[in-house]
Amino acid sequence: MKMNNIKDDYQIVIIGCGRLGASIANTLSNKNRNVTIVDINKDSFGKLSPSFSGLLMEGDATDIKVLKKAEINKADVLIAVTDNDNINILIAQMMKSIFNIKEVIARLYDPEKECVYKESHIQTVFPALLSAGEVGRILDKEEDDEK
Amino acid sequence: MKNKVLLIGGFHKATALANSLINRGYSVTIINENYADCMSLAENNQLKVIHGDGSKPYVLDDAEAYENEIAIALTQHDEDNLVICQLCKKKFGIKKTVSLVNDPKKTDFFHKMGIDSVVCAINTITGIIEQQAFMDEMATVLPIGQGNISIAEVPILQSAPSVGKKIWEIDLPKEVIIGCILRGESSMVPRGDTRLLSGDILVLISSKENHISAIRELTGR
Repeated sequence: MKMNNIKDDYQIVIIGCGRLGASIANTLSNKNRNVTIVDINKDSFGKLSPSFSGLLMEGDATDIKVLKKAEINKADVLIAVTDNDNINILIAQMMKSIFNIKEVIARLYDPEKECVYKESHIQTVFPALLSAGEVGRILDKEEDDEK
Repeated sequence: MKNKVLLIGGFHKATALANSLINRGYSVTIINENYADCMSLAENNQLKVIHGDGSKPYVLDDAEAYENEIAIALTQHDEDNLVICQLCKKKFGIKKTVSLVNDPKKTDFFHKMGIDSVVCAINTITGIIEQQAFMDEMATVLPIGQGNISIAEVPILQSAPSVGKKIWEIDLPKEVIIGCILRGESSMVPRGDTRLLSGDILVLISSKENHISAIRELTGR
């Protein structure tokens, strides 16, 4: 019962419905989480699976008025994964500093930009570093195999 | 040793500002993303010009950002201006950062994020209009009392009924003035035969009573 209540009340908002945003939204929806996904272009929602059961919202998430209107400020988790690093940085910091969202995650292509919000407790995902790490792991494994 | 200033983005604004700063004895570096604009800027021998995206750390590094006392972000995108200023301050140790902000609602947020000075594009121009229009024209055209004057930013979307029309063709209430049109990075004081384009932002000065009908006439909303 408590578990159900927690899940029912737990709001997750994803900004950006590109490949990553849509993939995250589909996964969370399949787990029956409460998901809202926002994109400035409604055609992007075509990437969502037919079984996606969350809310769709077309709008510019860098506009504070849009965020307030959609009550995005009540989210427990915000995930900023647009294809523009600077937009993700702006949205993540706005959600942390203005709306006090508990958990904010941003995807950054350029790891050097993380320093702009290092002290803000924003979690960051770097595809470049993840990929480099994985390649390194594969190479190490191959070396081990040769021994 | 000259004081050094770094300007990022905003070709027209940066050009005007750079000329003013050079005349006042500053050493100026400009970063611009458009190659043709960079070639144009480079015709001024007193300017150092860097071609690239000023929100990328390696471009700021190429520009020796750390050598500057002031960095001024002038792009048309608030997210770019924010990241530029934060990188300049946190990564390159620039003491003072100034950012243009295109959306007035973000002004407080930008200050909160450590930007030292925030210049609102709309307020700047509105301030000029307030200064000139109130003194000269508003008192004559609108003898209602200053408390009833409204100044609004009205974006003209592609679907608006006024797109493509000349100002005299639009059925605006009499007591309404389009004080200024912001078009891209430039601004103009319109005349009756100025044609409105999609994407224009109008600075509208009107009495409170006519405010809503004027906006309806311009935008269809």
